[in-house]
Amino acid sequence: MSAIRLIAVDELRLMARNRVAVIALALLVLLTIAAVVSSWAHQRGVAELRARHQSAAEEAFDAQPDRHPHRVVHYGTFIYRPLGPLAAFDPGVDAFTGNSMFLEGHRQNTVNFGDVRQSSLLVRFGQLTPAFVLQIVAPLLLIFLGYGVLARETERGTLRLLLLQGVSRRQIVLGKLSALGAVALLAGLPAMVGFVLIAGQPDALAAPMAVIAIGYAAYLALWTVVIVLFSTWAKRSRDALLSLVAVWAIMAVLVPRLAPDIASAATPLQNRFQTDVSIAEELRRTGDSHNPEDPHFAAFKQSVLDRYGVARVEDLPVNYKGVLALEGERMTAALFDRYAEASHAAQTRQNALVRAAGMFSPTIAVRDLSMAAAGTDFDGHRRFLEQAEAYRYALVQRLNHLQAEVVSFADDTAKDAGADRRKRIEAENWREMPDFAFRPSSGSELAASAMPGLLMVLAWLAAANLLLVAAARRLGGR
Amino acid sequence: MSLWSHELRLLLRARLSVVALILLSALTLAAVLAGLAEVSRQRDAIAAIPAAQAKDIGAVAAWIDVDKDAGSAAYYSFHPTWDAPSPLAFAAIGMRDVSPYILRVRALGLEAQLYDGDVFNPELALPGRFDFAFVLVFLVPLFVIALFHDLISSEREAGRLRTLDALPSGGRRLFVRRATLRLGLLWVALAAPFAIGALLSIAPLLAVFAVLIVTALYLIFWIGVALLVSLLRWSSVANAATLAAAWLVLVLVLPTLAHVAINRAIPVNQGAEIALAQRDAVNRAWDIPREDTMRRFYANHPEWADAPPLGVAFHYKWYLAFHQNGDESVAEAVLAYRTGLERRDAAARSLGWVLPSVGVQAVLTRLAETDLEAQLAYQDRIRAFHERLRAFYYGYLFRDRAFGKADFDRAPRFNDEP
Repeated sequence: MSAIRLIAVDELRLMARNRVAVIALALLVLLTIAAVVSSWAHQRGVAELRARHQSAAEEAFDAQPDRHPHRVVHYGTFIYRPLGPLAAFDPGVDAFTGNSMFLEGHRQNTVNFGDVRQSSLLVRFGQLTPAFVLQIVAPLLLIFLGYGVLARETERGTLRLLLLQGVSRRQIVLGKLSALGAVALLAGLPAMVGFVLIAGQPDALAAPMAVIAIGYAAYLALWTVVIVLFSTWAKRSRDALLSLVAVWAIMAVLVPRLAPDIASAATPLQNRFQTDVSIAEELRRTGDSHNPEDPHFAAFKQSVLDRYGVARVEDLPVNYKGVLALEGERMTAALFDRYAEASHAAQTRQNALVRAAGMFSPTIAVRDLSMAAAGTDFDGHRRFLEQAEAYRYALVQRLNHLQAEVVSFADDTAKDAGADRRKRIEAENWREMPDFAFRPSSGSELAASAMPGLLMVLAWLAAANLLLVAAARRLGGR
Repeated sequence: MSLWSHELRLLLRARLSVVALILLSALTLAAVLAGLAEVSRQRDAIAAIPAAQAKDIGAVAAWIDVDKDAGSAAYYSFHPTWDAPSPLAFAAIGMRDVSPYILRVRALGLEAQLYDGDVFNPELALPGRFDFAFVLVFLVPLFVIALFHDLISSEREAGRLRTLDALPSGGRRLFVRRATLRLGLLWVALAAPFAIGALLSIAPLLAVFAVLIVTALYLIFWIGVALLVSLLRWSSVANAATLAAAWLVLVLVLPTLAHVAINRAIPVNQGAEIALAQRDAVNRAWDIPREDTMRRFYANHPEWADAPPLGVAFHYKWYLAFHQNGDESVAEAVLAYRTGLERRDAAARSLGWVLPSVGVQAVLTRLAETDLEAQLAYQDRIRAFHERLRAFYYGYLFRDRAFGKADFDRAPRFNDEP
């Protein structure tokens, strides 16, 4: 024990004497603090802005005058994706997804105005968040602080002296490992302090936060082990440095960029143009509302007449135009759902492929677990999209119901000068429409979705430890 | 010359410098191929437009032809626009993965259509594309650090420095020779794969030269940093750590910090607000006298003012007029929004004069026409096209001319040429 401790303390003393190492560590700490502060301020700002826009949109909707319900279907409403508290730690895909969505009848619009299209080119350099600092920057810093821990001793021959003094190989490696581990702890600490501050927010969830903390601790531990491992293998400091930088560049920068390219080539997505054209075509095939002799709509009309036991639409107790609008919306929404489902499934397959690349890059694994636990990954976005579509459909159908039940068929088809006034229904109806409320995932759901990533990071850590045990046995051998 | 070949032999005998050079050229080649694949995917998608469009518009034309109503034709006809990738787009994908390069518009309010996105997987876009620009801006400095951090200090640490200084054509000239050799090899590792890609996509020579020169300049910048650090006469370890810190600061930290600062300093009136305002302006038309709408429209577009007055029944010329009024009512906000985006972009560009990493990215995306400027230029082309669309349909609507099947073929077509 004392030998391990001596070696660790000695290594730390050496690092402390190395001015550059101290400056580098100080830089990392400063960077983390800057990341925590700016990311938090950004998240708060964005959350407030979206809440403000949301209430402005809701007010505008409620303030509509007397209108024909179908006008309101096209007036539509805007909804904004709210941002959870953990987005301050890891905003994930938020800047890329857009945050405002226009909901209207017969159309499924895209989510627009993402930061990525509203910012300068700098946005593609990465976003300064605590997650980014821990995933990318901290490992590189640890490499430059630790690549020499054993390679230096081997190169200078001091390793031999240590061994001659009766210190075991295991003790040497453990000593160096604990020294670098202490530095890693120091490097990760500010981010975790920031994390705890974020946790002070009202609706932060405990389970995903715990997963994130464990995940990053394991990730930094992994890098510590890998660095010591390479330093054990290398005969010269320079070899250790170059190979570690190569490993870092591959794992933290290269594979995370390469895997998406492979994934998008493996599973191409249908673009919006193709989707819109296909939906229009399918819709025409099921039932063409513009064709007066269309069999689907003729059968539909007959079924409505039969249900009410009348012979003409004019005799129906409900407004047939509203009934038709209900049927039309049902048909388009079913298609929207099917196409959206297919697109989401394709994107999920792409993401699964990237996730599998976590076998080659622990950075991918930790990024996945981090985004999943923060609820800022694709699944979180998909959840928003699905709830938005469900809300859109319910809203439009409520309005179509109003048209069917409150506006009379005679008024609705009238073309005289006063018809416009008679078609309108009371503004009170708009205020009764429920507002959109995003239901975020529960804490246990988030934690569960982060499990695959966490397990992968832990598997990496276990594998690296096994390799280190094997390498330590041969330390100093020729 | 023999001195040079001797240095080359010496450099290539070090396994890790060979590995580094091979790794760099392999990465560059992979990046170029990935870029080419993405660009060819985009080209294929654009090439697939006409067939699908013809089918779609044919179906619309079939039922419009019954009533020959120009308004319904304008309402139901979507017209495709596209932004073909430039020959150099493979080298810097820029914003092309997150901004639409195909957008269909109709003759209704443009501001409600112009900002629509295309389908893309945000998790794939998040880390950024793997392209030549990425290899150059992010990875190359690391290779420079690996090859240069102990250029002089390793000789000092080996105790050979004084001997080398004393040699004829040793000392400074020796290190200039070594540095030049490494610079040349790194440049070739980058330039060769890039040149292959440029050749395959038949890029204009001038732009290719510009990229090659920028590549060399960026290498020289990082080599200069490495040599400056070596003047401090620290150990190899200290050099490496200092250079790594410099890389971190110049490539990762300062750009991300500047991003936060720029977005704070130049608040952009959120595009979402334009969408909201335009929607309200458009829909208000249903609640005000229709003559007000037409008066306002004719005031701005006197060329249509001699159209017959509105009757009691619904007429699409009123509908399209209030859509255009809606666009015009937010013109100021649109201009402010655009100016804000341009100012943000300009701020980042001027930062490029101080931060080579940002500068190189800016130059590459400009040469590849994949930057914000190119996106805005595409929006301008859509605007111009949309104006032609409006004029085309108005010619039928305001003159009460029938719109038959044959008229669909007369509709303006988007011309890709800027």
